[in-house]
Amino acid sequence: MKKRREKGNVFVIPAIIWIFVFTIFPLVYSFRVSISRVSYGKITGLAGLSNYIRMFGDYRFWGTLRFTLIFVLISVVATTFLGLGLALVFNRKMRGLKFFRSLLTMPLFTAPVALGYLGVMMFYEENGPVNVLLKYLGMGKVPWLSHPWWATLAICMVDVWQWTPFAFIILLAGLQSISDEIYEAAIIDTSSGWAVFRYITLPLVSPVLGTVLMLRLVDAFKVFDVPFSLTSGGPGTATRTLTFYIYTQGLRNFDLGYASAMAYFLLAITMVIGMLFFRRYRELYE
Amino acid sequence: MRKMSLIVSVLVILGLLFSFSLVWAQEGASELEIKTADAAFEAADKGNPDPAWKGQKLTIGVYSAGPRGAISGPLYFWRPYFEKLTGATYDIVEIPFAELREKIFTDLMTGTGTYDIIVGPSWFYGDYISNDWIIPSDKYLNDPRMPKWEPESILPPLQELYSWGGKWVGFNNDHDGQVLYYRRDILNDPKWQEEFKKETGKDMPVPPKTWEEVYEITKFFHGKDWNGDGEPDYGITMHLKVAGQGFFHFMALSAPYVVSPAPGDDPKKVTRYHNVYWFDPETMEPLVNTPGFVEALNMLLKLSKTGPSAMWGWSLGEAWDAFLRGKAVICFSWGDVGSLSQLPDQSSIKGKLGVAPIPGSEKYYDLETKQWVEKRNFVANTVGASWHGVISKFSKNPDLAAYFLSWQATPTINHWNVVWGWTGVDPGTLYDLLQPTGKSTIEEYVATGYDAEDAKQFVSAYEEMWYKYPLKQSYLRIPGTPEMWEIWDIHLSEAVTGQVTPEEALNRTAEDWNAIIDRLGRDQLKKIYQEAIGYKPE
Repeated sequence: MKKRREKGNVFVIPAIIWIFVFTIFPLVYSFRVSISRVSYGKITGLAGLSNYIRMFGDYRFWGTLRFTLIFVLISVVATTFLGLGLALVFNRKMRGLKFFRSLLTMPLFTAPVALGYLGVMMFYEENGPVNVLLKYLGMGKVPWLSHPWWATLAICMVDVWQWTPFAFIILLAGLQSISDEIYEAAIIDTSSGWAVFRYITLPLVSPVLGTVLMLRLVDAFKVFDVPFSLTSGGPGTATRTLTFYIYTQGLRNFDLGYASAMAYFLLAITMVIGMLFFRRYRELYE
Repeated sequence: MRKMSLIVSVLVILGLLFSFSLVWAQEGASELEIKTADAAFEAADKGNPDPAWKGQKLTIGVYSAGPRGAISGPLYFWRPYFEKLTGATYDIVEIPFAELREKIFTDLMTGTGTYDIIVGPSWFYGDYISNDWIIPSDKYLNDPRMPKWEPESILPPLQELYSWGGKWVGFNNDHDGQVLYYRRDILNDPKWQEEFKKETGKDMPVPPKTWEEVYEITKFFHGKDWNGDGEPDYGITMHLKVAGQGFFHFMALSAPYVVSPAPGDDPKKVTRYHNVYWFDPETMEPLVNTPGFVEALNMLLKLSKTGPSAMWGWSLGEAWDAFLRGKAVICFSWGDVGSLSQLPDQSSIKGKLGVAPIPGSEKYYDLETKQWVEKRNFVANTVGASWHGVISKFSKNPDLAAYFLSWQATPTINHWNVVWGWTGVDPGTLYDLLQPTGKSTIEEYVATGYDAEDAKQFVSAYEEMWYKYPLKQSYLRIPGTPEMWEIWDIHLSEAVTGQVTPEEALNRTAEDWNAIIDRLGRDQLKKIYQEAIGYKPE
């Protein structure tokens, strides 16, 4: 029995090696870098906590964090609501359902950087399709890429465009897993669609909704491609996300110590969100 | 049998793809291009290529613009000629502008040696030299295997960008400096001149000599339908998007407000306060938030309001396009605009182009007296990348790399690249300038499709700026330059889009530059900076 167990352990070794090489080592090494002085890729001395302290006095760090939080809020709320709305619409028997479902999920399979560059064309201020449409509707020209708030909105719109199908697919699966018998029973008690949604659909789809929210939150905090390709973080630094700033400091300016410290900060944020989410999740459903 | 036919089919497809790749470079090229390129190839010095190079391959890292685009285009175009000449070939690795530094510096930092040749910007030199990353071109100048090129033909202000410490380090290719482009037909039209006088009470200054005059003109034309297409047109067009190289506009515009002549017999003498632009050479304190810069930024903001608001989100291409398709009456930019304006598929203004040296200012700030001097000031610039090749120290075949770059730098091939606009290679040698200063003739330009008057204006503007302007702006070539410029670019964008005031944007820039200087070592940077601008402490 013991021998068999030892044999079994051998099969776990590749997974352990994988975790050490690709998770533990980078984590430990980047921590070492975050407390070091680094010049042109070489560690030249110990910096202690100075890279972490520097973050708190860096207005660019706070600016990018502020934009990241705004982006996360708008993007996550919008994708979840739109995804839920679409899932409710398509959770029924209708003609061409498969076709529309496929059509709706298409942006999900596109590279975010490609969507960003597509956005450059869509939001082009001089005769771009979006502004032409607005003009046709009798509205004024919108400075999509040259005004801080409009550029923020443009980035959020591209992100929502890409990630709404993700929320849609998962929530649709969640809705389809709810038994028809429950709805049939509910209809006997009420004729209000809202009451059915509020007291039947929403509670039953909540676990799936929570998963969508969690995945979107973590993903939104890491957003990079769309601001990079659509606005290059501008105008100024108005649409520069924290990941973009980390990339700039680490890989363009080769200030790897500071970049690693900020990356640890980002890791801490996403971990805290994850922990809070799972704690609440356990409280509700265990 | 079936297996055999499958292998044959695959081989045929691969053969076809290979053939396509050979002709790819010439795809889109006109008969005239091919004919003139063949002639340039025949006339160029070819040195004595080493037979041992046959079958070898180089890798060239270059700014990405595609097979018919700026800087990367000529590499595709000339590859079949190089293969014919040496039996060797090269791979072209295109790198987007925003990723140049991370890709190239990472390769050099780690000693990977992916790129034998880097066709990069001149602002990388501070890092190249201080880290000993490149092999100087000087080493190959008298090598009998190498084609002869003429470094001394590069115009004096630009020679500084190709050399370091009195030695040649790069190979001749592109020559950047911004000049003023305007619509000759519109500004010389008596109808518009009369309206201008009626509206402003002054004669229209053609061409405008100072930024104040440029502003008067762009303000007058902006919003008027001066091209007759039924829609309001623009006064000026600029590229002001962050990471869209807009800071070069400000660099060229601010120079006359900031760079002041030295008192005494030699106005060009570099002192602590005169003929300096970037830093106080004694302390390395940035000058970027001094009154001259603030005044210039206010002028940039005024000018930006006489063009489309969309240009705050524009990169090079969009800004040039607006001028080339006849929507803007003025733009100031590199030589690309001059040569692109002659290409019928990209321009509607051939034969209507006016070109003048970069404008000066009505006043300048004297850093010594801390007073404004109410006198016109003209300062030549070499702003931009002046893209050219260097050999990586980690190259596995530096001799072949030197051969390729020397061959591309020969007068006939370099001049061919200059006259064809899509190459992105701009004029800046004696053989690009017209006689009697230079060696070229109008006929040479006309033979490649130029309008004679356009060509004359275009080349003469550069000649006047680089030969006759009393002062010149120094180029920043210290370690950390790319980071400093990126930060500057961001803060300028914040100012033009109204997120902060001009003073605040420039104060932020100075603060960030000081942090970089302290991080990289103030004393070390000071020494390099003093050498680079020719400052001798008294």
